[in-house]
Parts: sequence; structure tokens; C-alpha cells
Amino acid sequence: MSSQPQIAIDKVAHVYRPPRGRPVLALEEISLQVQQREFVALLGPSGCGKSTLLYLIGGFLPVEKGSITVNGEPVKAPGPDRGIVFQHFALFPWKTVRDNILYGLERKTMPRAEREEQAQHFIDLVGLGGFEDSYPSQLSGGMKQRTALARTLAFDPSILLMDEPFGALDAQTRHLMQAELLSIWQRTPKTVIFVTHDVQEAVYLADRVAVMSARPGRIKTIVDTKFDKKDAGIFKSKGFVEKVDELWNLVRDEAIKAERRAP
Amino acid sequence: MARTDALTLDHAALLEGPAPSLARKLLWGFARVFSILALIVAWEGLARSGAFTPFVLPSLSSVIERIWSDAISGELAINTGLTVYRALVGFLISMVGGVLIGVAMSRNAIANWFFDPIVSVGFPMPKIAFLPVVILWLGVYDVAKITIIVVDAIFPVIAATLIAIRSVERELIWSARNMGANDRELMWQIVLPAAAPQVLTGLQVALPLSMIVAVVAEMLMGGYGLGGAMMTASRFADSRGVFAGIVEIAIVGYVLIKAMSILRRRLLIWHQEANEPTTA
Ligand SMILES: Nc1ncnc2c1ncn2[C@@H]1O[C@H](COP(=O)(O)OP(=O)(O)OP(=O)(O)O)[C@@H](O)[C@H]1O
Ligand SMILES: [Mg+2]
Repeated sequence: MSSQPQIAIDKVAHVYRPPRGRPVLALEEISLQVQQREFVALLGPSGCGKSTLLYLIGGFLPVEKGSITVNGEPVKAPGPDRGIVFQHFALFPWKTVRDNILYGLERKTMPRAEREEQAQHFIDLVGLGGFEDSYPSQLSGGMKQRTALARTLAFDPSILLMDEPFGALDAQTRHLMQAELLSIWQRTPKTVIFVTHDVQEAVYLADRVAVMSARPGRIKTIVDTKFDKKDAGIFKSKGFVEKVDELWNLVRDEAIKAERRAP
Repeated sequence: MARTDALTLDHAALLEGPAPSLARKLLWGFARVFSILALIVAWEGLARSGAFTPFVLPSLSSVIERIWSDAISGELAINTGLTVYRALVGFLISMVGGVLIGVAMSRNAIANWFFDPIVSVGFPMPKIAFLPVVILWLGVYDVAKITIIVVDAIFPVIAATLIAIRSVERELIWSARNMGANDRELMWQIVLPAAAPQVLTGLQVALPLSMIVAVVAEMLMGGYGLGGAMMTASRFADSRGVFAGIVEIAIVGYVLIKAMSILRRRLLIWHQEANEPTTA
């Protein structure tokens, strides 16, 4: 593995300044390094700045304090090398499922037929076959989320920033999607930063889990969670259960703090 | 993954939806035009009752006869055509100009600095008050009439465009940027489509406004057109001609608004509102 991390976040802070109302310190001194092909999960109480951190890495919000580099270059603007799956999907409501997914592919130099094929592949992958021509307003929450997932996977970014990408899915679909994500990650060289509230999901998917503190967000601890994903009995193995329990306690402490601090 | 979500076709009957009975359809169709029918019957009844002289209130049937004879002589086509032509040209200029100014204001601080006070002061003003100025500068022909229409109808378009663009969700823009959209693509492929519902609402205000101002301008400036013809009829104490004008204006206005709302449904097929049953 290369010594230089692919994503280097160094003492980053972020303040939201709403036009009316007081400024909000969302992140304070976040530092995190992610290696190429690594799968890192972010856990933390609601409002601790997980989405904000992804927006900063994605280049959607300006880095005002500290620095974020991707492949050694400071992040300045959004780009298709860092694909994001938004927490609230951000689908284009005037485009059908197929056209939403095609949007990222249209800017790639590939023949039209191949583009369509690629789109169809990901539509089938997320189980939306038969709904290609539906508009987002005609889909359920889980279907919208799967469309958003397919849209980002389709343009094949080398870095995936995923903001609770399975949050709206039922348990069964969630398991299927987790397996798909893992197999894509194992087949193609991708670095993943994955925000979730589900501790078990984090331990199962990630190589490392970063636990964030209540707002203003900092990285509280980073826990190694490398398990053999092919092992069918992993969810019941002692090591796995203990890791989940350990992380659960860390997250709960922060959630209680966040609760107390709330006005 | 299996197509668990796809509908199986043995639910055909369910997919058809409930079929309203014919009687229900007729009743509903009648209910929707009831108030208009009541007005028509009342008009005809009052006019025939003898309570008013035909000069004060000519009967609807005699007014329709008059419209018919105007239609045969070709007068109706000329007047209606001219009014609709002026209203539509004014509307189209307002649409293009209003959207352009709205876009410019949302993107460019100088454009915003320049136009914002004009919109704030101008929108609530009765623009028809500029008519004497327009007549002084441009005369009383089409250019003047269309100008006063634009001066009136452009404001709701600017305001709607500006608000619509400002309220486009930032995540939609980020999402497009993430997939590599440049500035131009962002404007044409994302911002304007996302703003379309509100812009269309602005246009739906501007269209009847164009029609109203067209008729009023014709009344005040004279010449051919529905408004001009009504003033001429009034001057010659031709009361059937005056009422014929009112009926014609009502019909033309209704057709224009209906066409606009059909266009809206077509354009916004993707919108939540298109999934709901029609009410109009
Ligand atoms: N546009 C904004 N303006 C002002 N404050 C904001 C804005 N967006 C987020 N915040 C604040 O920043 C903090 C972090 O928000 P963020 O969305 O990153 O949290 P999160 O960890 O993703 O939470 P969740 O798990 O609920 O999605 C929150 O406390 C929120 O109040
Ligand atoms: Mg969030």
C-alpha cells in the first residue's frame, strides 16, 4: 500500500454562517487519513457534522480552516473522481430513473449504446428494473435511494462518499445492497467513506470505523474492524459481536452528550 | 436482484382504476359548468322579462346573433385576431425578457443591483398610468400597444424567475457539479428545469394580464381589436355590440388560460402535481 494517503484531512474546521441567526461551529479540528482502496465508516450522533465533512471532501463547501488533499492535491471544486450519494438523494425530479442515471455518463467519452447498457446494468443491480421510465415523484423512499446509489455508482468514481446510503431501505434490501457494494468495492479499486448510524453495518463493511464526537464534530476514536466478509457466520462470531458492542458504547456516550447539550 | 417491485399483470383490473359511471360523469360535467349556465339562463330570462329595455340589457340570443353576423362579415376574425396577436406578442416578449432578466439578476450582482429597485417599485405600480407617455413616445399603433403590455406583464415573470432560481435546492446543483456539469450545463439542464414550475406560475399570471392590458389599451387608443370595437359600439349607442365584445373577451380569455394550463401539465409531467387527479 502506498505511504501517501489518498485522502488527507488535516485539522479541518467548518462554520456555517446562516444569513439570519448565529453561526454554527459544525466541525472542529477534524483530522483523518484514508488510504487508497480503504473502506472507512463514519459513526456519530445526529448533527455532529458527518454530512458536512463529506461536503468538504466533495468540494461542495469551501475548506476555510485546515486542509483536505486528495491524491496530494488540495480540494478546490467538485469533480467526478469523488462520487457522492446524498443523504436526501438529490435526484433530478424532471428526469426519469434512467435519465438520472445517464446524466453522469453523458459526460464520459463512450458510445451511446455502451452508456445505455451501463445505465441498465446499474438499474438492474439495485433492483429497479421495470421502473426505468418512472419519475422520482412516483417512487418510494427506498426506490429513490437506490436510484441515487445507481446514479453515483454508474459514473464509476474512484472515491465514493456515501451519506447514509442505505438509510431508507428495509432490512432485506439493505443486506442485498451491502453485499453489492462490497462486491463492487472488491472488484474495482475504490476508496469509500461511508456514513451510517448502523453500528453493525459499519463494522461489517468497513476496514476502519471513525467515531465522531457530538457537535462540534471531532474524530473521537478510530477502531480497526477488518473481518473476513466472505464468512457467512461473521455476524455471530465473537470478535464481531465484541467490536459492535465496543463501538455501540462509544457512540451511545456521544449521543447522550449531544442530547444533554441540546437546548 | 429480483424484480420484487415490478407489478405483476394479473392485477390488471386493479390497474385500470375505478371506472366512473356514465351518469356520474354527466353529473360532474354539468356541475362544473353550473354557475356559468345559471348566469346565462338568468341573463336571458331577465332580458326577456321586460324589466329592462333591450338597450340596457340585450338578450343573450340577440348578442349571439350579432356575434354570428360579425363572424360572417369577417369583422370578428379581424378584431379577435388583432387583440390575441397583440396580447400574445406582448406575452412572449415578457416571457423571454422576464426570464432573461430574472436569470441575470440571480447570477450577476450588477444586474441585481440595477434591476432590483426597478422591480420593487415597478411591480406594485399601475403600469397603465404610463399609457399617456407611451402614446407620446410611440403613437397609438401596435408598437405602442405591445409596449404597454410588456411593461405590465414582464414583472410577474421577472419576480417568479428570480424566486424560482433562488430556491433551487443546493444539493441538486452539487449533484450536477459532482457529475461534471459546467456552468452552462448547470443553467440549462439543472437550474431552469428545477425552476420551471414556479416560472410557469409566473407566466400563468402574465398571460391573462397581457390579455387585460391589450383590451384596455385598445379601448384607450382606439383602432381595430376587441377593445377598440367595444368603444366604437359604445360611442354609437350600439349596446348589442358592446355586450358581444364582453362575451368575445370572456371566451378568448378562457381559451388562452385553458391552453396555458394544458401546456403546464404537459411540461410538468414529472411533477408531483401531475400525479394527482385533475380538478380543473
Ligand atoms: N446549511 C446550514 N446552515 C446552518 N447550520 C447548518 C447547516 N447545515 C448543517 N448545519 C449544522 O451543522 C451541524 C452538522 O450538520 P450535518 O448535516 O453535517 O450533521 P450530520 O452529522 O450529517 O447529522 P445527521 O446524522 O442527522 O445527518 C448541525 O448541527 C447543523 O445544525
Ligand atoms: Mg447527515
